Order: sequence, then structure tokens, then C-alpha cells
Amino acid sequence: MKVEARTYASLSAPGEQAGEPREVELREAGTVADLISALGIEAADVHLVIVDGRISHRRDEPLRGGARVALFPAVGGG
Amino acid sequence: MDRLLRVNMTDRTAKFEPIPSAYASRAGRWLTSSLVHDEVPATCHPLGPRNKVVFSPGFVTGTAAPTSSRISVGGKSPLTGGIKEANAGTGWGRRLARLGIRAVVVEGQPERDGGFWMLKIDAKGVSFEPADALTGKKLSEMVPGLAARYGGRDKVDVCAIGVAGEHKMGAAGVCFTDREGRATRYAGRGGLGAALGSKGLKAIVVDDSGAAEVPIADKAKFDQGRKKLAAALGEHAITKPKGALNAYGTAVLVNILNEAGGLPTRNFRSGRFEGATKIAGEAIFAGNKERVGKDVYNHPCSPGCIIGCSNTWHKRDGSEHTSCIEYESDWAFGANCGIDDLDQIAELNLLCNEYGLDTIEIGGTLAVAAEGGVWKFGDGKRAIELVREIADATPLGRILGNGALVTGRAFGVTRVPHVKGQNMPAYEPRAIKGIGMTYAVSTMGADHTSGYTIAPEILGVSGKLDPLNPQKTDLARNFQYATAFIDSTGHCLFIAFAILDIASGFEGVVEECAGVLGTDWTMNDVARIGKAVLDLELDFNRQAGFTAADDRLPEFMLHEKLPPHDGVWDVPDEEIDRVFD
Repeated sequence: MKVEARTYASLSAPGEQAGEPREVELREAGTVADLISALGIEAADVHLVIVDGRISHRRDEPLRGGARVALFPAVGGG
Repeated sequence: MDRLLRVNMTDRTAKFEPIPSAYASRAGRWLTSSLVHDEVPATCHPLGPRNKVVFSPGFVTGTAAPTSSRISVGGKSPLTGGIKEANAGTGWGRRLARLGIRAVVVEGQPERDGGFWMLKIDAKGVSFEPADALTGKKLSEMVPGLAARYGGRDKVDVCAIGVAGEHKMGAAGVCFTDREGRATRYAGRGGLGAALGSKGLKAIVVDDSGAAEVPIADKAKFDQGRKKLAAALGEHAITKPKGALNAYGTAVLVNILNEAGGLPTRNFRSGRFEGATKIAGEAIFAGNKERVGKDVYNHPCSPGCIIGCSNTWHKRDGSEHTSCIEYESDWAFGANCGIDDLDQIAELNLLCNEYGLDTIEIGGTLAVAAEGGVWKFGDGKRAIELVREIADATPLGRILGNGALVTGRAFGVTRVPHVKGQNMPAYEPRAIKGIGMTYAVSTMGADHTSGYTIAPEILGVSGKLDPLNPQKTDLARNFQYATAFIDSTGHCLFIAFAILDIASGFEGVVEECAGVLGTDWTMNDVARIGKAVLDLELDFNRQAGFTAADDRLPEFMLHEKLPPHDGVWDVPDEEIDRVFD
């Protein structure tokens, strides 16, 4: 299955625009952890995961095909 | 810190008084709210002679405590009619603290129009100077010259109102100089600039030359505390050097809130903005790199800050356009106005700084005006013309300058996203329930800084909660108590990201304060002090006529579904009423 991944802030690769949607091929019911691994990002660098607008608190959360998944480092503001 | 400076604008006199013993351990928001509660009749007209504007640096402002140069400004709000405390990061309050002045109380009003005056405060005392020549100007054209007249930015900091305050507009903020002397740091919300304007006070220059160090009762305890806090700030991913705030600024939140479906767009019609990535902190970082030719990290707004979150946006030729485009301002003119052009957002931000306007209220007002047919969402050029019209004080400009609620009434708009007359900031309550409860009950009107529940609801700081879950009563209460304490310390609220996750950092803050004051405060005193502050503010608002009916979100949010989650505001009124019951 394919999911739509978006990386932000320091998780974007050099030269890559933050939030540029990228299709990633995962096994059926692949998880958030699988996606992070497929993107080649250090798991420890990912602090916040948002799946289809919902904050995900579980790295073993299975994803649906076509899911919009956003990955962020630890960020704050106000 | 041992004196209170009382400035009477009726007869232009000033006198120093000892701090009343009841206020011996109060500073910052605790002291401004105490003085407003105890001295301002709650039913008075906020632009009349009985209102007062109170300034107070926090417990540790002026010391070596990191990130502690906040100044609290209080009074009865011309925008909400309730109590107000707004604070800003600046060296101004630091100089006040070093002069041993814990509060400045500006009271009275000239009986006839006596023009504008300014105040000079230094180690020798206080003097009034005529200030009519300073009026009608952009703040960047007035403030640096004023500072230069008194010895330059190394010697003085300036507090001033802009033309919006001169015209007594509800969206007028109180401006302070930043570390580089720019007139850009605002105690922005609630119209306190109008209250100063009503008293004919245009500016206050503070020179701390020759001042002694701020006295510290227990130096060992203070030093232990400040080191614990500095360690927490240096370690946490959000606050550390080249961490999230230092690299991307507060506008890094644009993409997060957009992904979470909580970024209010086009006057709170959607929780997602299709142009979010073009205006976010990452785009500001990338745009600066392209225009300046190198990575541009952010700078501290005030002396002694070790976070450094303030950005600068540059023009195509590499020169400075504006500082700082905060998340709130970026959102207010960007997503909320449907504008995805950073140069236009920067210009709107700049104009608000020049005219002395609260960017949140003005962005919200423009969105309501677009809803009312005054202009079209996304037309940045027209938005810029409208903000210029506020400075010109045309009839339309005066309507806009008085905020979203007045503008909604003038143009027959029912969708005004406000509480107690103050426009909501950049978090959508239908998608983030705890912040909605905070907006509802805050003594300040809709205000995210009253209790930043976004930390656990979205950012995964100090816990991980589901933003869509409506059970947030205790959260809304506890965050407001903790915040009222932090607002009294003189620390920037952004230390919360580190100290909510790193317990020793929070202990350090309490030890710093106890060390300065010579009290035996522990962590157990944080909520006690926060509650004491809130109780004063709630009592003032009750006396001013506010009831539970004012602690409600606007009607349209109860039935209008918000994409992408398609939720409505569904927190029961009884739960809202339980927050401070």
C-alpha cells in the first residue's frame, strides 16, 4: 500500500521543501515505525506524528492505504 | 526592588511610595492585577480618569536569571471591559527593576485636552516632557530618535504608544524596544495602548545608569535555581541553541496546526489552509537563506534570553523588512486572511508595529471585515491599504482599529470568533478542546497565553492528550494557575516548554524567586500563587459585570462544522463553569 508522507522542520532532507507530499510504499497495515524507517529518518528525531489530522501516540499504529502522515521533530511556539 | 512610582496625569505629578506590605512578595502579573483589583473601580470607563495603567517587572527581572526580561502591563481593558495583563520581552522592565521600581502606576487624566506628554525615569527621579512633536509618526521614525536624545539604546529603553493609541483604539498595544532598539515588542492585547492614550501619555523612557544590582536575599538559593533553569533550557529540544525556536521561530507551528486540522483559516471557516507551507517557519528560514545567502538563526528579543526565538524577515535585496513575524501574526494575516505571500504578511506585520496595533486583533478584524464584504480574502494589497487606513483614522479605519467585535457589528457579521470582545488567537477550539475551554474562562478574553494547553494537546510537551477529547476541565484550570505564576516571575512563558518536561527546571524557577525575595516557597506554592492571581482577576471581572454567560464561545461554533474533522464546539456549559468553580 501507499501512504502520503510529509516531513517538516529539521526532518526534511537538505534542499527538500518542508511539507512536500511524498508517496511511500509500505506493506499492508504497515505502521508509523515502518514509515519512519522507510524514510530513513532516525526514530529518535521524530517527536510528533499526525495521521490524517489525528495526533498519533503509538509508533506501532497501523496505517491505512492513502493515509496522510506528517512527521515533526520536537517543536514549540506560541 | 522596593518602590512604587505613582504618576498622576491629571496634574502631571509623580511620587515614589514604599511598596505596601500586602504586596511585599508580589511582582509582575500578580502585582499589576493586585493594583488594578484594589485601586481601579471595576465599573469605570476604561478610557476615563478612574482607570489606571500599571507596569511591573517580575520577581527575577533585572537579575542574571535566564530569559527573564518580561514586563507586565495591567489595567481595565478598553477592548474587553475586564481586567487585563499583557506582557512583553524588553530591556525596559529590566532597567526599571534595577532602579528599584517594582511598579509604575499611571493614573488620572488631564481635565481638558492637554496634548501628549512623555515621562523620563532615571536614578535621579522622574520628569515630564511635552510630547506633541512625537505624535502622528510611525514608531520606527520616532522611537530611535527619542532613545538617541537620552543617550542611545545602550543606555535607555523606550515604552511608547503608536497612532492607534493616540486615537484610543481598542486594538492599540503598548510597544517596547527590543535588544537592538527596534520598536517592535508588544504588550499587545486588550487595548492598553488606548488607555495610555486616554491619559495623554505617549512614551516612557527609562535610563538605569548608575543603578545598583537588583538585591537578592539568598544568593546561594537564587544561583542554584537559575543554574537548574539554564540547564533545562539548554537541554530541551525546543528551547536549546539551534533548537526549534532558535531555528524556525514560533511560526514553526503553522504546519503542525495545519496538519492537526486546528489552523483557523479565513475567519475560522476551516482548520486547514492550502497555503500553510508557504508561510510557515520553515518557509521563513528558507526564504531568508535565499535572500541573505546563509542560514539565519533567530535572536533574543531582550537581554539575558538564552532561547532566542525572534525572527527577522528580509526583502529580496537582503535588507531587513520586519522583525518579528511571530506564529500568531503570521497566522493572523496569513491563514486567517487567506494570504499566502510572506512579503505581504511581513508588510502587514510591519505596519502594525509602526502604528502600535495588536497583530492578532487586527488580523482577526480583517478576516471579519472580509466576511462582511469590505475586501476579499487573499487580496493582500487591499489588506495593506486597510491597515494604513487605521493609521489615517478614517471612519472605516476607526471601526477596524476597534477590533473584530466592533467591526462585526458595523458590517452585520455574526461569525465573530471572540470571547469577551477579544478575537481568538491561532488555535481552533472546535479541533482543540482544552484551548477552547481556556478561551472561554480566561479573565483576559480569548487568549492562548492564559494557559497554553497546546503543549500537551498538540505538541506532546508535558504529556500527550487527544485534542478532540472534550474532557479538559482540570487541564484548563491547572495550566492557567501555572501560567499566572510564571507571568509573575518575569520569565518568558516559553520557559514552560522546558520546565514542564524537566522537573528540576521548574524547581529552579521557584528557587530563583524564593532566593530574590527571601521566601521559603517550594513547588507547592506555584498553584497557590497562580490561584491567588486568578482569584483577584475573576473578582474584578465579576464586579465589572461579567457572568457565566460571558464564558462562552460564539454561537456559530456550536452548530457550524469545522473541516477537516467536521466537529463542533461540544464542551458542555456545566464543564466550562466548573473550571474556576
